[in-house]
Order: sequence, then C-alpha cells, then structure tokens
Amino acid sequence: MEYLAWLLLLLPLLCAAAIQFGVKDSPAAAANLSVASVVGTFLIAVLLVFNSDFSSSFTWATAGTFTIQIGILGDQLAKGMMVVVTGVGMLVHIFSLGYMKDDEAKARYFGGLSIFMFSMTGIVLADNFIMMFIFWELVGFSSYLLIGHWFEKKSAAEAAKKAFLVNRIGDFGFMIGILMLWGILGQTFLFAEMEAPAKALPESQATIVGIAVLLIFCGAVGKSAQFPLHVWLPDAMEGPTPVSALIHAATMVAAGVYMLFRLQVAAGTSIFEGFAGTTIAWIGGITTLLAALMATQQDDIKRVLAYSTLSQLGYMVMAVGLAGEAGIEAGQAGMFHLYTHAWFKALLFLGSGAVIYACHHEQNMWKMGGLFRRMPKTTMTFAVGTLALMAAPPLSGFWSKELILAQALEHNPPLFWIGAGVAVLTPFYMMRLFVVAFLGKPRDHGAEKAKEVPPVMLVPLIILGVLAVVSAFSLIASSIVPDNDFHAHGFHPNMVFWISLGALLLGAGGGFLLYHGRSSDPLANNPLFKLFRNKFYLDELYLKLVGLFQDTVAMAVHFLDEFLINGMIVGGLARSTAGLGNIFRRLQSGNLQGYAILFGAGILLVIYLTVFAR
Amino acid sequence: MTLALILLPLFAVIAILMGANPRAAARNATGMMLFAGLGLAALWALGTRTFLGVDFLVLSKPEIHLALNFFDGMSVIMMLLSVIVAYAAARTGDCEDRHAKLWNISLLLIAAGAVGAFLSTDLFFFYAFHELALIPTFLTIGILGRGDRKEIAWKVTIYLAFGSIILLAGLLWLIAASGTPDLSFESLLKCTVPVAAQRGIALFLLIGFGTLVSLFPFHSWAAPAYASAPAPISMLHAGVLKKFGLYGLLRLHPLVPIGMASWLELIIVLLLGNILWVGFVTINQKRLDSMLGNSSVMHMGYIFLAIAALIAAQSESANPIAKPAAILLMFGHGVTIAMLFGLADRIERLTGTLELRDLGGLAKQAPKLAFLFGLAAMASIGLPGLANFAGEVMVFIAGFKGWEPDTPPGWVQIATILSLWGLVISAVYMLRAFRHIFQGPTVEFTRNASDLSARDRSPAVLLAAVLLIVGLFPNILLQFLEQPEAVVAREQAHITQHPRPPQPAGSAPVQPHPSPSQ
Amino acid sequence: MASLQEYLFVSGLLFAIGLAGVLVRRNIIVIFMCLELMLSAANLTLVAFSRFNTGPDGLPDYNGQVLVFFIITVAAAEVAVGLAIIVALYRARQTVDVEDLTSMRG
Repeated sequence: MEYLAWLLLLLPLLCAAAIQFGVKDSPAAAANLSVASVVGTFLIAVLLVFNSDFSSSFTWATAGTFTIQIGILGDQLAKGMMVVVTGVGMLVHIFSLGYMKDDEAKARYFGGLSIFMFSMTGIVLADNFIMMFIFWELVGFSSYLLIGHWFEKKSAAEAAKKAFLVNRIGDFGFMIGILMLWGILGQTFLFAEMEAPAKALPESQATIVGIAVLLIFCGAVGKSAQFPLHVWLPDAMEGPTPVSALIHAATMVAAGVYMLFRLQVAAGTSIFEGFAGTTIAWIGGITTLLAALMATQQDDIKRVLAYSTLSQLGYMVMAVGLAGEAGIEAGQAGMFHLYTHAWFKALLFLGSGAVIYACHHEQNMWKMGGLFRRMPKTTMTFAVGTLALMAAPPLSGFWSKELILAQALEHNPPLFWIGAGVAVLTPFYMMRLFVVAFLGKPRDHGAEKAKEVPPVMLVPLIILGVLAVVSAFSLIASSIVPDNDFHAHGFHPNMVFWISLGALLLGAGGGFLLYHGRSSDPLANNPLFKLFRNKFYLDELYLKLVGLFQDTVAMAVHFLDEFLINGMIVGGLARSTAGLGNIFRRLQSGNLQGYAILFGAGILLVIYLTVFAR
Repeated sequence: MTLALILLPLFAVIAILMGANPRAAARNATGMMLFAGLGLAALWALGTRTFLGVDFLVLSKPEIHLALNFFDGMSVIMMLLSVIVAYAAARTGDCEDRHAKLWNISLLLIAAGAVGAFLSTDLFFFYAFHELALIPTFLTIGILGRGDRKEIAWKVTIYLAFGSIILLAGLLWLIAASGTPDLSFESLLKCTVPVAAQRGIALFLLIGFGTLVSLFPFHSWAAPAYASAPAPISMLHAGVLKKFGLYGLLRLHPLVPIGMASWLELIIVLLLGNILWVGFVTINQKRLDSMLGNSSVMHMGYIFLAIAALIAAQSESANPIAKPAAILLMFGHGVTIAMLFGLADRIERLTGTLELRDLGGLAKQAPKLAFLFGLAAMASIGLPGLANFAGEVMVFIAGFKGWEPDTPPGWVQIATILSLWGLVISAVYMLRAFRHIFQGPTVEFTRNASDLSARDRSPAVLLAAVLLIVGLFPNILLQFLEQPEAVVAREQAHITQHPRPPQPAGSAPVQPHPSPSQ
Repeated sequence: MASLQEYLFVSGLLFAIGLAGVLVRRNIIVIFMCLELMLSAANLTLVAFSRFNTGPDGLPDYNGQVLVFFIITVAAAEVAVGLAIIVALYRARQTVDVEDLTSMRG
C-alpha cells in the first residue's frame, strides 16, 4: 500500500513537471496529461480507502541526532480526505477541459492544478507538522499561481499577491505554534508520537499550551480565511472559476479545519480545553455571521458564493473549536460538514462557472435572469446545490449542519443562536441569488444568448448534484468521513431540527418574496445593508492600517538608515578617516626640491644620531 | 588535488594576460572548476579524506603553511557554492571589449580567492585569500560600476578595510592568547583560549566578521555596492564572498564559546536589526537592484540567528541543528541571490531599466525569464522545495531547540519569533517586485522585450536546478556535515575544561562572565 | 703632494655645490648635473682614501679605485636613462621646470 500512496503523492508532481518541462507548447496534451493524472490519483485514493492503514517515511534532513521526516500517514481520516480531494479535483479537472478550452495559457493552468493536487495531497497525508507546513506553503503558492492565472489583469495580479501575503501572516503564527508545540510535546513533530506527551502535560503548562494551540490556529485563520484574515478569499475569485471551486471552496480552504482536526486526533482534544478552544469557536462563530451578512449584498455571483464559503468554514471552525469542551465528537461534526460542503460547494461554483461561461464571462447576477429556461439542466443542478447549502432536509448539507448546531446548543448556547441566525441568512442570500440569476426575464444580452453548456462541463455538475443529495448517507460516507453521531445513532427530530427548519423557511421565504420579479436590489439604499455591501469597510481599514504601518515604518526606517546609520554613525568614521588623510595630504606637496630638503635633513639627522648622539 | 581549484582560475588569469580570449578563458576555467569541485565533493562524500590536500611550508617562524584541504564538511559545501556560483557568474553579463580583460580577470581572482579562503586550513591563508578576492571587487566597482561608482567603491573599501583590520586584530589576539604552535586550524582548535581573553577576542571577531557580512549597523555598504557592481561581481560577492565572515564565525566559534556567549544579547539585537530594520528598508526600495542588495543584507540576519542559537548553546553537541542550519541557509542564499542578480541583469538588458514603476507585464513577453525569476524569488522568500526553505526551517527549529516549556521564552526564542515576521516582510517586497515587473499589462519598456535564449538561460538554469535538488533533498548537502565521533569527543573535552554556567542548555540568557579584571 | 685633508676639502666643496644646486635650481637638467657633481665628489673621496691608505708593501688599496670605475660605469648608464626620461618629460609637458611638475601632489 505504501508504494501506491507514494505514487498518489508524486503522480501530480510528475505531471506538473512533465507539463512545465515537456509539453508546455502543446496545451491539449498538457490538459489530457493532467486529467489522466488526477483520474489516476482518484482511483488510487478509492483503492486505499478499502485497504488497511499504512505509514511510511524517509529522512529529509539530518543534523546530528535531529532529523526531519517526510512521511505519509494513511489513517481513516487521511484516506477519506484523499477521496474528497481527488474526487472534487477530478471533476474540476474535467470541467476545466470545457471551461478553459480557449485559454491562451491552458498548459500553465493545468500545470498549476497539478501542483495544487500534489500540495493538497501532501497536506492530507503528512505524518508530521513540518511536512504539513511544507505543503501548507505549497498550496498557498499554487493558489497564488492560479488566482494570478490572468496576470495581465491588474486586479488578478493584486488578488494573487494579497492571498499569498495574508496567508503568510497566518503562517507566521502557525510556524511559531508548531515550534512551541514541538518544545511542549517533547520535541517531536510526528503526529503519531504526540498522544503520550500530550496526556502527560502538567497543569502548570495549560496557558502555554493554549497559546501554542492558538498560534497554530493562526495558520488555519489564514488558510481557511477566518476573521480577521478573511479578506483574501473574496478577492481570490479573480481566478478562473474551476479554481475557485477546487481550491477556494472545496479543498484548500478546508485545510485549516483538517489540520486542527488532525491535531485533535493526534494529541487528543485536551490541549484545546480552556481559552484556546473557546477562542477558536468564537472566531468561527464571528466569521460565519459576518460572512453571511456580507453575502446578502453581493452582486457578483462568485462573490456571493465566496462569502457563503467563508460562512460555512466558520461553522466548521466553530465545531472544531467546540471540541475543547465537547470532545472529539464536535470535531467530527466539523469534518462531516467539511465533507458534505466540499461536494455541494464545488457544485455551486462549477454551476456558477457554467453560467458565467454561458453568459460570456458576465459575473453580475443582475445582468443575468431567466437562465432556467435557457439552460435547464445546469439550473437543476444549481438548485440542488442551493438546497444543500440552505440545509434543506434531507440533502447532505442538512445532516452535517444539524450535528454542528446540536454540539453548539449543548456546549455553547450563544454560539448556537449565532449559528441559527446564520441558518436564516444562508437561505435568504441563496434564494436571492437563485431568484435573480435564474428566474424572471433576461436583463442583458449575455443572458439572452445563453445556451446549455457542453457535456464535458455538464457531466461533472450532474455527478456533483447527485453527491450533494446522497453524500451524507452512511453507504457512502461511513468509509470516508470520521465516525460521528449521525452515522452512529441516526437522526431524531429534536429542538435543533425544528429551529433550523423554521430558519430555513423564514430565510428562503423572505428571500423569495423580496427578490422575486425585481431587477435591482430593494435593500441597496438601506444604510445597514450598505455596510454589508461594503464588507463592513474592513478592506479599506486594512489598507489604511497596512499603509500606515508597513509603508510609513518602511519610509521612516529608510530615512533613518540613510541619515542616522549611514550618515552619522558609520559615516562619521569615514569622515574622520578622510580628515586624517587630508592632514597627511599636505605633506605630499609634489615639489621635488621640498622632498630633497626633507631628505637631506633626514640624512643629517641619521648621521647625527648614529655618529654623535651615542 | 584541491590546489587545482585555485590554480585553474590563476592559470586562466595568466593566459588572459598573455593574450588569450578573456571570455573564453574565464568560461573554460570556471567550467573546469565546477567539474573538479563536484568531483572532489563526490570523492569526499564517498569517504576519501587523505590524498586530496596540499601542504607547503611557507614560513617557519611563525609556522605558516599554504595548506589547502577540506577541513570538514563545511569547507566542502562552501567550495561547492563557490564553484557553482563562479560557473554561473562567468556566463552572466557582458561588457565592452576594452573592459573584457579586467572584467574576467576580476571574476577569476574573486573565484580563486573565495575557494582559497574556504579551503585553507591555515589561519593566515584563510585571511589572505579573502583579501585577495576583495581587491578586484573594489577595482571593478570603481572602474566598471554604474552610477556614482567612485564614491561607492570608496565606501566599500573603507567599510571592508575597517572590518578586515578589526578582524586581523582579533585573529592576532586569538593566536597570541591560544599559544598555538602553528597557525593551522587543527592545532588552533586543540588549544584553549583563557576565559579572560575570550570576551575581547569574541567582540573583535564579531565586529570584524560582522562588517564583512554586512551585519547591522555596518550594512550600508552592501546594497549600493551590489547595485553598482557588474552583475557577475555582485553574484560572486553577495553569493559567495560574503559568506566568508559567517564561515569564519562558525569555524572559530569553538575557540571562544564563552566569550561569544557573553555577547549573545548584542548579537540578537543586531541580527534583528538586519531582519526587521533592513527588511523595512528593503520594502521601501524603488529599484530592483537595490532591493535585491538590501534583501541579501536582510537574509544574513537568519544565518546570524542560527549562529546565535549555536552561541547560546555554547557547543555543537548542545544544539546540533544550529550549525547545519546555518550552512544550509548560507548555501541556499548564495545560490538564490546569485540567480536573482544574474536575472536582474538580464531584465535590464531586455528593457533598459530596473525602476519597478517603469516595468510591467514582462511575463507575457518573456515567460521563461518570468519562470526563472519567479522561482528565484520564491526561493528567496522561503518556498518549500527550494533550498532556502530547508535552511530557514532548520534555523527556526534551532532557535527553539533550547526552550523549556516551563520557562518564558529566552532571547533566542524571542529573536526567532520576531525573525519569523521577516518571512512576511520578504514576501511583501518580493511579490511586489514580481508583480511590478512581470504582471499587469505590458508597458513602454517591456513591449519589445524578447525572451531569453537558451544560452542566456543556462547559468540561471544551473542555479535553479541546484536550488531544487537541495530543496527537495537537503540531505545531499547535510550528509557532508555528519559529525565524526572525534569531533564530538574533542568538543566534550573542551567543555569539561571550561564548564558552562549551571543552566538549562542555553535557553536562558547567558550570564556575562568574569571580565578580565576579576 | 697635497694632503688627504685638501682632497677631502675639495670633495666636500664639490658635494656642497651639488647639493645646493639640487636644492635651489629649478631647471631639471641643472639639477641633474648637480647630482652628477655630487657623485663626482663621492668618487673623489674614494680615490683620495685609496691613495692615502697604503698597505704594508707601500702600494695603495686599489679596491677604492676599482669601485670608482664601477660608479662611473653605472653613472653613465644612469645618465643615459635619466636624460632620456627628461627628454620624454619635456616632450610630454613642454617644460623642465620642477615648479611646474607637481602632478604627484596629494
């Protein structure tokens, strides 16, 4: 099994290398190669799920007695996650064949996708924190590449840069956290060796452990775009839409949740107890609420989905954070939501991609409308995805969200009510999106001329649509997601169920009534909703702050560097040397006879000293 | 056999003086150096130790040998770095025909001096070879440099002469205090330096070596010099020659561990000056070449961080990660910065400018250049899979090696945490530069640019391959540093002679220890 | 026959004249001639000492005189080179006045 797993990891890398150094000039070959590799990895991943666990590693770096390993750890969690990653990846690759058909830099695009698949596989299979960090950085890099795919466009180039930098800020904390945890857990990076030292931690170290866990969480804040580092994700929609589906909805952004859950599995949830877990849960809660509010006022179809992704990621992070109080069940609920979310969010993004493609790269939903009649199959799949995201029973999204809300109600009621509030907002903005874009009459040429997309794009949509309905059921899910309450005990209607059902009806009904038949947003002039539309002015605030700190400090330091250090301290040394040189320069007159007189005087002195002065 | 590495460039210099084609001579000589260097390193890796060296007695009182050998794995790695960068430098950039002689002779002399300094197992020639390499650096900047070349050449000369003199004083003091019978490293490292003298010697060595490495606040010569010097000279100096100071510190640290430890706080403040202060200075640069020059100064801070971790631990056995980390990062940084300077030169040739705001959209016109530059830029900001990351991550681990979770973080840990912010800073300026040069719409300067030819690419491709290989398998280099038991035993003996203050391994700040007067 | 003192007196006079010429004259050719004068003074001293330093056999010590021949030969060569330099200097600078030849001033 190990060899297959290594192949699973290396296949996309080899593919990327082959594209970059081999078939770069033949886009079709590059695309086919990339698709073949991802299909291969998917088959391997499925094969591995039905086999026993495995692990294997080699020494990457040695320094005396210290080593860093690169290794793969194939437990239930990793193998299941691999199926999600390669499954969504495969469908996105296939969809891309159609979506990027006429792109100038198709080879670069597919090369980037392969690099991403490699990096993501590495995160999932990593058996230690350093390896996870390595691939953590690499997914960030591939995300940078793919967001900036159309780099001639200023906004795309800026968005790519922003994504990388914001992630770097998160990774700053992540690396400190990894190092601290390394020191705390007896200097091991290996997940397999963390459990014993974590159990034996003395009470006196609770604070430092909490700080370490929070710093590690910083990495997840960056990668999973949690408040306050969420600003890069909406901008990342500048990338091609399939990329948004794969990286910025289904897999990479969920890596933060995966990483935290991996840590919980490895070291136990005890290290999340206390302020660390609570802070994480609250950050998740705040993100889910803020993002849902912002989503209600976006006009760009992809941005609505981006904010909904943020909101759903907030749910997952909230669940993982609750694990500090609730134990591993809460984390499992988060992972379950990650799994269902991956399918239906990929579906929604690919669906929006199909719409954008059909409308000739128009992304403003107010310029669409009436697409149901022109592209019914796409619309049907999109509707399924919408329902799943709204958490309508019995679609997949419902079950997983139910679990999270149940955990919240039990262990942190305020967060439950935030979650319930978001459960109203989600159907509201999704209904707005669906009604405005697909129902009513076309409001622009693009929408009028829209046609159903070709099968190469439609088939992935249909597959994902099916999965969005059934993926939560035990038949499929039990071997892929970590054990959880739902699969263990089944479902019983309780208070959480009634509340979320009420929320769904309220939100969806409100959205439908408010937006049905409208051609512009009736809430656009409401000052509160203006605030949502402008994302609480957070981007502007950050820009100001960054401008104030980074650039002002840089300028001040530059000035001081020139003036103080170069001019005064070190320059003073140079000047005193120069002054000394000036004095000696006087002696060197260039006058031959002056030298001769000195020379003669010198000889006289020597004669005097040697002959007379003895 | 090691002598060949120095004789090759020197013969080439003689051949050029006698009328050979300067460019061809330099290229052939560096090419042969590369092969010889790789061959020797391979032999060393396979276990050959004895027949490689040369040893001439030059002066008998004091006993000085012209001895060239691989003293340990560190020498091998630095030699590899030198020959690789020299190979690339000789194939980068070009000049008017009337300057070709000077240009290529300087290049060869710098290469010879660098290899000589890293291979000398004798303190005298270790110092002398470095000085030999500096002279052509001054000359080339003064004669062939850009901008205000005379003033910059003077500045560099004054700074480096200042550093060298302080260093010389420190070395002489070290020799006197150790009472060594001859000047070879081997007998030197067997000596023990009296504790009373260590503090002073350590300070002299730190300032001397530090100035050569552009340690804050003696850094302001570096960026203008690299911006002004011809590309190959910048490559060789920033990539190879500057590592001399770090190499020297690592080499001589075992002699004065206690003295160094008493300056730990100072070193940490200065290295943070390199990373954060110079980092901010770098963000503010408007030209690519001065940005790269400053970034190379900034990255020296990380290597000093590893050295600080070693100093705090006082011995290699207490923190086995620090020294390999420093060496790996030295290698990675050397290759990266050489590649960046080489490519910056290409960009200037293609577009005629290096002002960031005048450039844009070059990736469209020159995708291969963009790929190579992007790779080097990513290496420089520590992307995994490229050599610098392996070094950097090991540096950070080394920084936390001595930390006990029960105690608050010590000086080195705080420095590590603050240095990590440097990763954000370097990402800011590198991505900003990449964005300005390669992305966005094409502009006036880039509209007619063409991509690199295979010939122009070759040096960068070699460096990129090295970055990738070392980045993916750092053990290829780290295997050279596997400690033979003898070294460990020797170090143990040294420690028992100078017991450390009773403290957990170097985590807490080390107490200043008895000054000479006590 | 003149005494050693007289020889030495003449030699000293010659040397002093030469030195004074070197120090005060501005024309480089005159300076050069004065240098030769000083050289002759030294030669005269050598010959004088040689003549008055007789050995046990009554013959003078010829070492001093042989040395004078050496000096004359070398001086001839030196004059040739020196004059050539002066001529080259004149061609380059159109002057042989040392006041004008100060390009070595710091």
